[in-house]
Amino acid sequence: MANVEGRATAITVLTPYKWTGRLLLPVVFWVGRHATWTLKKLQMLSFIHYARWVIVKRFPPGERLKYEYLLFESNFNGSWDQYIDAFSEVVPQRMIGIWGTSYGFPGPIPVEPFKDYIRANEYVANHYWNAYPGATTTEIISAERVAAAVDDLRARAESLEPSAFKAAYEDMLTSIQRDL
Amino acid sequence: MSRNVSGQAYALTVLTPIVDGHAPELTAHLDALPEGDDSPLARVGRTHLARWVVIDHVKYQGHGQRHRDHLPPRLLFTSNLDGDLDSYLEALRTALGEDADAVWGHCVGYPGHRDAAGFARWLKAHEIEAALFFAAYGARTVDRVHADLAKRARLIEFALEAQGLEPAALKARFLERF
Repeated sequence: MANVEGRATAITVLTPYKWTGRLLLPVVFWVGRHATWTLKKLQMLSFIHYARWVIVKRFPPGERLKYEYLLFESNFNGSWDQYIDAFSEVVPQRMIGIWGTSYGFPGPIPVEPFKDYIRANEYVANHYWNAYPGATTTEIISAERVAAAVDDLRARAESLEPSAFKAAYEDMLTSIQRDL
Repeated sequence: MSRNVSGQAYALTVLTPIVDGHAPELTAHLDALPEGDDSPLARVGRTHLARWVVIDHVKYQGHGQRHRDHLPPRLLFTSNLDGDLDSYLEALRTALGEDADAVWGHCVGYPGHRDAAGFARWLKAHEIEAALFFAAYGARTVDRVHADLAKRARLIEFALEAQGLEPAALKARFLERF
């Protein structure tokens, strides 16, 4: 059993929803896909590598249960408690939109009943793989900016006089100091 | 665009039925797989983060839920991967080899990794599309993430050792290093 691999943690949640979810969830997720503020809000939760929601109407290859289910998986760094706290504090309305039609959902605030709900519906991964166990999401995004700045300076370096190069190098370090 | 795609990243979600009575053995097998660099999934180079989860029941909530559902056990496989699905499934098949059979061989209708077309067809037949997929760095491949992290580490090291160098030496050292 392995919900943790390096600095990443896996969460896998499967919950049944009411018939109202059949009407509302397609709309909620349509808005999520098309309104950039939803994904931007998730980006504010800067510790999520990848996350997905999946509507399970039938369990492949085609088995229909009495209820439809919502599958959620996330890959994040930090502790489980911090993660749920952040969801509850930063995007409570979206949590209501997504899980509001699920049986037993207590709402994202206060956070303890919300945690109990997630915990009760969570499945522990039996095997978990992370390609870069030593890196957090923030470090990966910082590294992207650093690499771009280094590549940019490298492309210009040969044509710069040494003193101009030193100035450009120092400018680069200043511009990316938060990413180092 | 597919709802499974964000940038160049693809969200693969596969739920396969486990053969009656095989869930405990499959669970034990997955739990015992080596982790980290020795994981079979380490051989599938385009995989950012992936998991296998045995879902042996669905949970009854109460709170107005009138009926109890009974789900025959399923194996969930999810992967956050680079590029297109078809070539990834082929990479998965060839890289996992016998390890794929040792896992999905416990599932109903699995054709085995030696049947290339059947392997891909079977996984795709059990795939479910994401309703919403979030990728914090969906434009970055696994190789690119590794390269960027290495470059950042190299720059940090360089910045420390290059302190106080004269401009000409600084430039020469930078060109040598990058």
